[in-house]
Amino acid sequence: MMKLNAGRAIAGLTAAMALFGAAAAETGYRPVDGDIAMLPAASKLAEEVHFFHNLILMPIITVISLIVLALLLWVMARYNSKANPVPRKFSHNTLVEIIWTGVPIIILIAIALPSFELLFKEDVIPDGKQIVADADGATNVFTFDNDFPASRMVAADRHVQVFLGNASGGVGLTPGKDYQLEGLGSPKVSVKLAQTPKAGDRLVVRMGRSLVGAGDNREIALAPTMTLKAIGFQWGWTYSYPDFGDFEFTASMTPKEATTPELYRFETDNHVVVPVGETIRVVTTARDVIHAWALPNMAIKIDAVPGRLNETWFKADKEGVYYGQCSEICGVRHSAMPITVEVVSRPAFEAWVNAKRVESGMEPMFGAIASVEPESKLADAASAVSAAQ
Amino acid sequence: MAHDHSHAGHDHAHGHSHDHSHDHTPKGLARWLFSTNHKDIGTLYLIFAICAGIFGGALSGLMRAELAEPGIQILTAFVASGSEAEAENFYNVLITYHGLIMIFFMVMPALIGGFGNWFVPIMIGAPDMAFPRMNNISFWLYVAAGILATMSMFAPGYGQYLGFAGGWVLYPPLSSNTGHPGPAMDLLILSIHLAGASSILGAINFITTIFNMRAPGMTLHKMPLFAWSVLVTAFLLVLSLPVLAGAITMLLTDRNFNTAFFNPAEGGDPLLFQHLFWFFGHPEVYILILPGFGVISHIVSTFSKKPIFGYLGMAYAMVAIGFVGFIVWAHHMYTVGLTVNMKAYFVAATMVIAVPTGIKIFSWIATMWGGSIEFRTPMIWAIGFIFLFTLGGVTGVVLANAGIDHYMHDTYYVVAHFHYTMSLGAVWSIFAAWYYWFPKMTGKMYREWLGNLHFVFMFVGVNLVFFPQHFLGLQGMPRRYIDYPEAYAHWNMVSSIGYAVTLVGMIVFAICMFDAFFVYRKKAASNPWGEGATTLEWTLPSPPPFHQFNELPRFDKGGAHAFH
Repeated sequence: MMKLNAGRAIAGLTAAMALFGAAAAETGYRPVDGDIAMLPAASKLAEEVHFFHNLILMPIITVISLIVLALLLWVMARYNSKANPVPRKFSHNTLVEIIWTGVPIIILIAIALPSFELLFKEDVIPDGKQIVADADGATNVFTFDNDFPASRMVAADRHVQVFLGNASGGVGLTPGKDYQLEGLGSPKVSVKLAQTPKAGDRLVVRMGRSLVGAGDNREIALAPTMTLKAIGFQWGWTYSYPDFGDFEFTASMTPKEATTPELYRFETDNHVVVPVGETIRVVTTARDVIHAWALPNMAIKIDAVPGRLNETWFKADKEGVYYGQCSEICGVRHSAMPITVEVVSRPAFEAWVNAKRVESGMEPMFGAIASVEPESKLADAASAVSAAQ
Repeated sequence: MAHDHSHAGHDHAHGHSHDHSHDHTPKGLARWLFSTNHKDIGTLYLIFAICAGIFGGALSGLMRAELAEPGIQILTAFVASGSEAEAENFYNVLITYHGLIMIFFMVMPALIGGFGNWFVPIMIGAPDMAFPRMNNISFWLYVAAGILATMSMFAPGYGQYLGFAGGWVLYPPLSSNTGHPGPAMDLLILSIHLAGASSILGAINFITTIFNMRAPGMTLHKMPLFAWSVLVTAFLLVLSLPVLAGAITMLLTDRNFNTAFFNPAEGGDPLLFQHLFWFFGHPEVYILILPGFGVISHIVSTFSKKPIFGYLGMAYAMVAIGFVGFIVWAHHMYTVGLTVNMKAYFVAATMVIAVPTGIKIFSWIATMWGGSIEFRTPMIWAIGFIFLFTLGGVTGVVLANAGIDHYMHDTYYVVAHFHYTMSLGAVWSIFAAWYYWFPKMTGKMYREWLGNLHFVFMFVGVNLVFFPQHFLGLQGMPRRYIDYPEAYAHWNMVSSIGYAVTLVGMIVFAICMFDAFFVYRKKAASNPWGEGATTLEWTLPSPPPFHQFNELPRFDKGGAHAFH
């Protein structure tokens, strides 16, 4: 069964994505009865968590377990009293002791390096920024402010991603080949393109220290564009949107009679709605006892502690509905306060915000709902490009 | 550990005109209520642990019965009102008391109170523990603690619902008046106070005994590994239990005397409790497993007919595990909102423990290597332990990484991890010790095929219960849930079937014991296990006399057990 799990992962992240995509059409990103793997990833960070577990940790622990099993079986076969009537008396072997002390240390270091990288990306709220510059046909050097705190300044090639395109799409450029970076670590960083872009082209530059994702599929995480506040209580969640007038609503578990058997214990009467492709800061607290807000498809879980504000973040790659469940025992109905997050397009999100504001007695915030920002389309294209790589 | 012991029962051979007490073995109440005999007290602890194990196992049986299928259908029959809400509370009560009972009233009394008391004095050549009366107090404090815990289960907790329903970790505010205003929680706190006091006194007893009462010539570096394991465990107990006592006292005063240690509305912090609790809680899990490590070392050596590989490495690996075990506690708190640098430290420290643990696993295998292995019942259990504990250990390495733990925390993956190390680790070592030392303690042999059959059923059963729980955790099923979405049904059913198989195994065990005592009734020799059994208990009759070593065995030059 262990091999099946590693095998599925090794079938290739790309092939697996297709597989999950097909399954996801049926069950969304929810668990599948009888399944043995992690829930499908819906964000770059979750993909990185999957990579760390399926392709680093699982192979290592599987091999270690099989080695111990093999040694035990060998010893039982070769040194049982019939096969070996006279026991040897040795009780030391310095070489072997050095090996079984040193090799685990090396393995642990090999685990620790990606582990720390993953941890810092999960816990440090990203602060990357995305700048759009229009080409005038004459310049091939574009300069940007490196205005981050000292320890977060752009200081290496991997802290910058460059996309070149126009209103309908863009292409990721390769450092060294398509452009050079100058002024890394200084207050002003310049992107010097190998080829001068035509007038009307758009250059999109992402700068930041959180490079999130697995393998080639990585992107610099941008600073949050909104905050979601989740307040746990016995037994449900109250959500508020402080950036949009602080309107509030409560989400309670949908009772059995009002939903399908597949969605019972996942579905809530009101959903958390967030825009796709934007970094969402989640802040949690609680009214009475400790609860925990979890969204496994985004690989996040954070306790909601009364008297305390905790924060985490996620950025959904795709529109869809994602479910989580309260993850800290909080009393009688601990298993009856799930989380439903609906990820929608920016226009749909704005429409929803307007509706919620009006419900709370405020004026709508957003104007013409059908407007589409060119930057965000190029940003979507940039994400699509990096996803395909 | 090799020593010459070409003698038998020499403690009767010398003039004992100075000592008439061995004729006056106490009887009745004096013997069992007022005992000052480490063997009798050990027996009392073992009986207590068996009773607690049956009760704790019954609680988990109810849990698995409810979890076999989605929906709430079983526990409604067990609660007064028959309502789903009361059943939900009852489920949380079950998981809470299952954990508390198995940890505090089964594993610890069995390994430390039971086998520790029985065999540490004998192994070091001492006639009894350093403080025999305090030993007795320790046992009866445990019984009092058990009574209070049972009362707590049936006292009002939340509203009119009975029992404390917040998990064995007792986190406030769920365990303060906010969550459980009723007396159930207060009774539970008092119960744990008494259990903690009992263990602290017992630990003092073991440390003093081991440091001061080893037979002449037995230096610490010649002491058997089970005694080493109990010594390290005793230090862990003495250093960690007072912190638990402090934490639950603060909880008691918050609940009853208007203090605000954990009440944020009055300036307190619920997370303070978690730090204090886990500062105890992590050493506690090493307390639960280290004596088991000691037992396995003895059994593997005995039945391989070889001295344990790397004795000093084994002893100091246990010391290292014990020491590092004190500085890793917040790996139980990765999702509470610690700073990233704190978490990074705890990831690193936690991974360090894998090294000495690995040394032990490989040393046991190296002990068997080149040996002449007899697959007697204790050895079968010990080999099972080595494999199953390894599985539990590697999932611990996965969980040590905070980046992954954010996904896994409070899911069934954690439940699978600690049951592999506890149910398939500590409990396996308890059965291994039971089958190893049963002939010595009772003077009777059991039918080994029954012991082996017990092993087979338990092996299949507990793996069926807990292996699928890894899948449930990976698929996101949270723990401490009475009911779950349909998509978790399949593995939950498999897990519950596993419980039934395990139960059959336990019935086989009961039959094996009944048979040994009342049917088979075969007398056990001083040493039923052969040349590989080299520690002092095998030089005594089975069962040993009420007092042993009125004349101390000597390990120094010229003594009967002189080391070469």
